[in-house]
Amino acid sequence: MNEVGRKTLFWRGLTGSVEQRKRYNKLITEADSEISAFLEINPESGASLLRKNSESQTSSPLSGLPFGVKDNIAVEKFQLTCGSKILNSFVSPYSATAVSRLLAAGAVPVGKANMDEFGMGSSTENSAYKTTVNPWDHAKVPGGSSGGSAAAVAAGLVPFALGSDTGGSVRQPAAFCGTYGLKPTYGSVSRYGLVAYASSLECVGVLADSVEMTKNVFTVIGGKDPMDQTSSNGSVNSADAAAQPYTIGVLSKTEGLDPAVAEAYGETIEQMKLLGWKIREISLNTQEYVVPAYYTIATAEASANLARYTGIRYGMREKDITDHENMVRLTRENGFGDEVKLRILLGTYVLRSGFQDQYYVRAQKIRTLIRNEINTLFTKVDMILMPVFPTQAFRFGSQEMTPYQQKLADKYTVTANLAGIPSLSFPTGLKSGLPVGLQLMAPDFCESRLFDAAGVLSGGRSIQLAPGAMSAGEVS
Amino acid sequence: MALFQTFVGLEIHIHLLTKTKVFCGCKSAYGDKPNTNICPVCLGYPGVLPAVNKEALKMSYMVGTALNCELSPHTLFERKNYFYPDMTKNYQISQFSDPVGVNGWFEFETDGGIKRIRIHDVHLEEDAGKMIHDGNRTLLDYNRAGTSLLEIVTEPDFSTSEEAENFLQSFQRMVRYLGVCDGNMEEGSLRCDANISINKTGKGLGTKVEIKNLNSSRFVRKALQYEYKRQAKTIKNGGKIVQETRLWIEEKQKTRSMRTKETAHDYRYFPEPDIPPFVPDEMFMQSVNDSMVELPFVRKQRLQKAYSLTEEFAVFITEDKFRADFFEAVISAGAGAGTGTGTGTGTAVTGTPAPAAIAAIAATAAKWLKGETVKQLGRRNLELSDSPLSPIRFFSLMKMLSDGTIHANIARQLLELTLDQDEDPEILLERDVLAGSDDDAEIAEIIDSVLSNNPEAAVQIQEGNTKAVGFLMGQVMKASQGSADPKTVRILLMEKLTNKK
Repeated sequence: MNEVGRKTLFWRGLTGSVEQRKRYNKLITEADSEISAFLEINPESGASLLRKNSESQTSSPLSGLPFGVKDNIAVEKFQLTCGSKILNSFVSPYSATAVSRLLAAGAVPVGKANMDEFGMGSSTENSAYKTTVNPWDHAKVPGGSSGGSAAAVAAGLVPFALGSDTGGSVRQPAAFCGTYGLKPTYGSVSRYGLVAYASSLECVGVLADSVEMTKNVFTVIGGKDPMDQTSSNGSVNSADAAAQPYTIGVLSKTEGLDPAVAEAYGETIEQMKLLGWKIREISLNTQEYVVPAYYTIATAEASANLARYTGIRYGMREKDITDHENMVRLTRENGFGDEVKLRILLGTYVLRSGFQDQYYVRAQKIRTLIRNEINTLFTKVDMILMPVFPTQAFRFGSQEMTPYQQKLADKYTVTANLAGIPSLSFPTGLKSGLPVGLQLMAPDFCESRLFDAAGVLSGGRSIQLAPGAMSAGEVS
Repeated sequence: MALFQTFVGLEIHIHLLTKTKVFCGCKSAYGDKPNTNICPVCLGYPGVLPAVNKEALKMSYMVGTALNCELSPHTLFERKNYFYPDMTKNYQISQFSDPVGVNGWFEFETDGGIKRIRIHDVHLEEDAGKMIHDGNRTLLDYNRAGTSLLEIVTEPDFSTSEEAENFLQSFQRMVRYLGVCDGNMEEGSLRCDANISINKTGKGLGTKVEIKNLNSSRFVRKALQYEYKRQAKTIKNGGKIVQETRLWIEEKQKTRSMRTKETAHDYRYFPEPDIPPFVPDEMFMQSVNDSMVELPFVRKQRLQKAYSLTEEFAVFITEDKFRADFFEAVISAGAGAGTGTGTGTGTAVTGTPAPAAIAAIAATAAKWLKGETVKQLGRRNLELSDSPLSPIRFFSLMKMLSDGTIHANIARQLLELTLDQDEDPEILLERDVLAGSDDDAEIAEIIDSVLSNNPEAAVQIQEGNTKAVGFLMGQVMKASQGSADPKTVRILLMEKLTNKK
């Protein structure tokens, strides 16, 4: 039996019956006590949703596979806290479209993964609940904001997990933990059920242990959804003309990268050359503007998206306050963390009347320029190879990277969000015992090109799991 | 010349008659049990997204068309940000920079003739929930949250409060005609805010004051009248008008300040990222155009001209679309029947009956609709639309009445019977009105007396002039007070005449 067959058998053997799920629950809970990837674990509850879904296909390659869900994506009967105190104990009454489609394919949601509060952060340290560690080095962050999802896959707790990527939140933790991380084309996966942070930038993404798995999950969750009018069938219907040998655009200047990342970047270029792919040096003139444009647009949208958390209808509510205004004020003051407050304030500021032209409107113009530049580049190259983050996983606290430095370091990931294009973060191996990930970006709706290229680069192998991974012995 | 010039503009909100809310599938209804028509979307739960109701867009474009607006080829939704307990997301999805329609106009009648005012814009948005204050607590009902609301903003083109009131009444009639809103101001399905500024004549716009809480077109007039007096007095006394929002307090017949400009919101509008701009295609615009109807003012002018209706009757008939449709159906039944109008047969579809005859039917129908029919429907608590009186039945009644077959009191009786028994008037006439009184001997007696009183008519008939038959028939019917069966009368009358010969 091949690796895929063994893996599938292993995972199905953990979800098929009540006894199996009990055993799985015990295993995953124990393993997770080391890394704290999950905020809630409940395979039985996930299986009950599956039973409700009478149309579940047993023929899908995902049938019987367990998966984790970032805690800002709704799963019926599971908590939906977004890593925030303000949604403490909030249980979702409905499931996100991506989750419903996985259920229909027979996959079993088993838990909600930790994250930076409302997706705001690069280390998962901004969670109000737990500190998730990097399974490769417990003194290091798993990345963020989908840190719990990445850690869960790297530690072999689940074969895949859903995450969300607003400015790199799937790709960066994937790079830090050594997993695959797909940020799809904007609109190719429904956002219905993804708690909004920055609506025009974010996507439901996939973290998985192989290219094949990433592709299978994307195929199941993608496509138009009437509940999300920004969704489309673009990726489903795409007939990609590009084929190997690919022409890859690479950055002519890579200063500012840590040596390990720069080295991995160079090695991957060499690997591509050996495959006979054409390498073309490119420069991105807009790159210095992507971070300010991103934070202006993201925070503006966040300031509106997070206005609904007032304690009136759900979530945390400050007690014993007799007037509406103070109740809302105190609930928000005590319910939100500092990073969230900072971004709400920033977003409110850039949208003020009289200041919009200077900030928000200008950022939107820059966004158009970025998109135009990227589209022009794709007339010359099939894909662009980029670092995901200038460093490998960093230490907890601000000793190695302050929150401000972390924001500046988003310069490699936010481009794909501003342009709306798909990007796949893939592991390139270990440097000093820690993974390094790089990303390939493709034109709108050309995810299949990314899967094909990453598949070739991986040699068809799954990721290397972190030491002591739960599923390690079973699947090798 | 008046010392002051008044500038009044209106902001009207109408609840569109869509079956479901504007961004989710919940039922859109008034008066249901609180918090029964709700779902995660209209409650603003985490993770949900809006999906625009196509029907709401269609109705919006219909209103934009009726108001002669430039319609947007890519209308855009935006977020209007402010915190309020009845707003589930604490932003309202509305329109700002590219609404459904802009730069329109609307004509309506005032005492001084036809007035045209300009429409600034027409935009689609969602309504908020409702707060119910109950002692020291406040309850929230979200049934209304997310229902489709269309806002129509006029330019400050009204120069008197009466004009504003007249406009509002015409506008209300128009949206009812279009079937996009029930126009009910008491239930809040049509709401109106007014703004007024006054200035010394010739000096242009003054400082704008907004008035809210206007629950009827009458309140609009009264509040504006009050505000005019208040502002004029302030200016005369050397004071300054403060830019503010005021509330009309009906119990006190005055306005009071609600908030001033300093405490006004900065709504921080920005494009709604969850809804792509709506680009109406040809099919959509076709369906909008197909749904347009002749608007009340135009229809009134046409009917008045075509049937020489008096102002009073024309207003009455066109006040309600169903009534106007009914009236025209009665007339086309007349044109279709052909008989009695002198045009012969076979012209049901294309025939153009003599205008005079049609006008006669129209005049009778208008009179009877407005008078007796309204009265009898009222007594039975019926609407014309759900009564057994069809245009065809009403036409037969009118025809019998105008050709002298029956008299007014019989017609009245037949109208009541039609309403009560759901039966055709001809059948009722024979079965219920004439039964019992249909005594041949009695009729024969009447005929004898009519013949002896009109000997020359009998001679004419015997000489071949059949026109006189109708005259004699009419006399007999008259003498029987309309209770005789015309067929019997005719048979008996002809028998007598033949015998005489």
